[in-house]
Amino acid sequence: MKKTLIILALAEMATVMVLAPAVQAEKAVTLLNVSYDPTRELYQDYNAAFAKHWKETAGQTVVIKQSHGGSGKQARAVIDGLDADVVTLALAYDIDVLAEKAHLLPADWQKRLPDNSAPYTSTIVFLVRKGNPKGIKDWDDLAKPGIAVVTPNPKTSGGARWNYLAAYGYELKRTGGNDAKAREFLKAIFKNVPVLDTGARGATTTFSQRGIGDVLIAWENEAILAKQESKEGEFEIVVPSVSILAEPPVAVVDKFAKRHGTEAVAKAYLEYLYSPEGQEVAARNHYRPRLEAVAKKHADEFPQIKLFTVDEVFGGWQKAQAAHFADGGSFDQIYQK
Amino acid sequence: MKTKLKKIHSLAAVAAVIGTQFHSSHAYAAEISNEDLQKLIQHVDELEQKVKILERNREVDKETSDAAAAQFKKEAPQISIGQNGFGFKSADGNFGLKLEGVLQLDSRTFFNDHGIQGNDGFILRRVRPIIEGTVYRDFDFLFVPDFGGSTVQIFDAYLNYRYDPALQLRAGKFKVPVGLEQLQSDAWLPFNERALPTDLVPNRDLGVQLHGAPFGGVVNYAAGIFNGVGDARNSANSDFDNNKEFAGRLFFQPFRTTKINALKGLGFGAGGSYGSLSSPSATGLPNTTGGTLPGYTTDGQQQFFAYNPTTGTVLADGEHWRISPQGYYYYGPFGLLGEYAISNQRVVKGAAAKRLENTAWQVSASWVLTGEDNTYAGIVPERPFDPREGKWGAWQLAARYAQLDIDKNAFPTFSNPLTSANEAKAWSVGLNWWLNKNVRVLTSFSRTTFRGGGGTGTTAPAIVTRQPENTFFTRIQLAF
Repeated sequence: MKKTLIILALAEMATVMVLAPAVQAEKAVTLLNVSYDPTRELYQDYNAAFAKHWKETAGQTVVIKQSHGGSGKQARAVIDGLDADVVTLALAYDIDVLAEKAHLLPADWQKRLPDNSAPYTSTIVFLVRKGNPKGIKDWDDLAKPGIAVVTPNPKTSGGARWNYLAAYGYELKRTGGNDAKAREFLKAIFKNVPVLDTGARGATTTFSQRGIGDVLIAWENEAILAKQESKEGEFEIVVPSVSILAEPPVAVVDKFAKRHGTEAVAKAYLEYLYSPEGQEVAARNHYRPRLEAVAKKHADEFPQIKLFTVDEVFGGWQKAQAAHFADGGSFDQIYQK
Repeated sequence: MKTKLKKIHSLAAVAAVIGTQFHSSHAYAAEISNEDLQKLIQHVDELEQKVKILERNREVDKETSDAAAAQFKKEAPQISIGQNGFGFKSADGNFGLKLEGVLQLDSRTFFNDHGIQGNDGFILRRVRPIIEGTVYRDFDFLFVPDFGGSTVQIFDAYLNYRYDPALQLRAGKFKVPVGLEQLQSDAWLPFNERALPTDLVPNRDLGVQLHGAPFGGVVNYAAGIFNGVGDARNSANSDFDNNKEFAGRLFFQPFRTTKINALKGLGFGAGGSYGSLSSPSATGLPNTTGGTLPGYTTDGQQQFFAYNPTTGTVLADGEHWRISPQGYYYYGPFGLLGEYAISNQRVVKGAAAKRLENTAWQVSASWVLTGEDNTYAGIVPERPFDPREGKWGAWQLAARYAQLDIDKNAFPTFSNPLTSANEAKAWSVGLNWWLNKNVRVLTSFSRTTFRGGGGTGTTAPAIVTRQPENTFFTRIQLAF
């Protein structure tokens, strides 16, 4: 009898051990989305939508935490151990770094989701003060003497790198691909930059709240948001003749998601960005949706601009990074504080 | 527009003052033109913009330097010195080392013991530097030597892989998960010595154990395979037998995570072990503490029962199982702990063989007079001892009753009934002074009475069982 009791007790322990992970799976799950600077509002909105969707479809409560900062800085934080389940950064290079330097996800991460893992797009525009007192219309106006230009630091900000390449690409196109002239052009623009913020949101603060500068080079979504949040008519958006197609990518950080046991929910979180609901949230937050039906619905909000891609003009992010933003690259050469 | 008008008015006022003074000394001075005023405004605007830029750059520089400082702080190793020991760990917490220790200086004074020599005195009961740490976040280790006995012994030395608090794997030498009081830390015991049921459960052994505390600690489980040791024994670094012993424990604290405060401290469960020796062995029998042969000891650490037949040698052989239902209840300053233990073992002497079943139980209660929470994991005084500030630490009152019964079949073949007792009953009362979390002074009195034994002889157990054991204990303890 007593022997039976012992066996029963041991069997019960084994049952507890087997059941413990299964029961834990029913608990609320937490995701950390490490993102770049101006996506705070987008993901606040989207997280609520996804949490509702996940509860309805999977029956599980998901709590999504957000972390925001300059895209390059955020990538470094993840490499240094910030346990991101997903990253939604400003540009593909910053996620490439996670794959190459820290092996946190496979090198071909961009192929795992449609549209090179960029569920929405944006572009770069100008935000000027009421009445556009300096008459800024296009990129070459930014290089003129006496124009104070606000843009963040390309070394730390993904948005700044898009700004830089947009201006660079404009000048390359204008001069028939003259690299030297493009550098001179960027040098003239950066001579007009009085403050280099570390992230896009900081640059917006500099321009809109501190009253510095004549023009802010900004993400389209950030410019729209700043305009909406300002006193009526305080700012105007100027759309340049040509700009860059910004494709902020998203990816599951496999190593951390696996460790947290969140792979499935992290994958679903990113996939839902491509759904009509996810695309609607993106459009509502002034990102250009990929889905045609949603894009059509919001067509009035996004002006038609001639857009070039990083691949077309710079041969991809790896090359662009090496040529312009790596130590000793063109930015280091043209900019001296 | 308003701002600009305001600015023009201000400047006009400034200009008027300047103009008046200028006029007073130079009557022919020209009036300031509108164009000059515009230039002045533009100049002020430019200056204002420069100031803003300087201020913003200062902000950005501060942000950058703050971020760099935060990064440095994040990456710098952390040192901690406090009541929980001295330690340091890497910035990410993945690597760490902690130095802790237990020092216990005891005194035992025996009354009316008919002049047993050598049992009164001071002893260093435990002198244990404790090194514990973590490598690669999930791998914990513990190393505990003891310098308190006549020889230096390794008490704990293990590596623990922590996949999750609910799922951990431990390998090395550590406490076998059977007895409740045995599993309680030495530094938190309300009396100098554990009660009689601890005589019947294993102490430390070498093995591998799967364990964890799922559901926020509502369930605690442990199941392991060990070399196997006799009752109360602390394994030497070797196995005396090819067969292994299985031990496990399941303990519930069903209200631990609820809001029912009165039941949060309720815990109950059972531990047990099973092993079977492949060949006869003396090491499979109980500990020899307090005597020369295997047996069981009193609170005063004197042997009252031994496998001491008048002729021949007793050995353990075959099956040995133990089971120990156990529980505790803590609420506010009150604490109650109880356990029952059965140790069923086959013993042989020559051709004679018998399965003996020894049993023991205890109930102990304690009350923190100064009102602090009483817990299985000790007491933290709210007002640590500092007489200059009128703070006197925490005081705890404790009482205990325990009993151990020897299987009647042990006599006379395996134990001499004239010298070994077949039953010990002990009651104890104690008063403990927790000066702070690290320093404690214990005092207690324990009386143990025996049935059987008490015959002639100059060694334990005869001289011990000849009269009741009355012992006054003191302890000065440092534990950090």
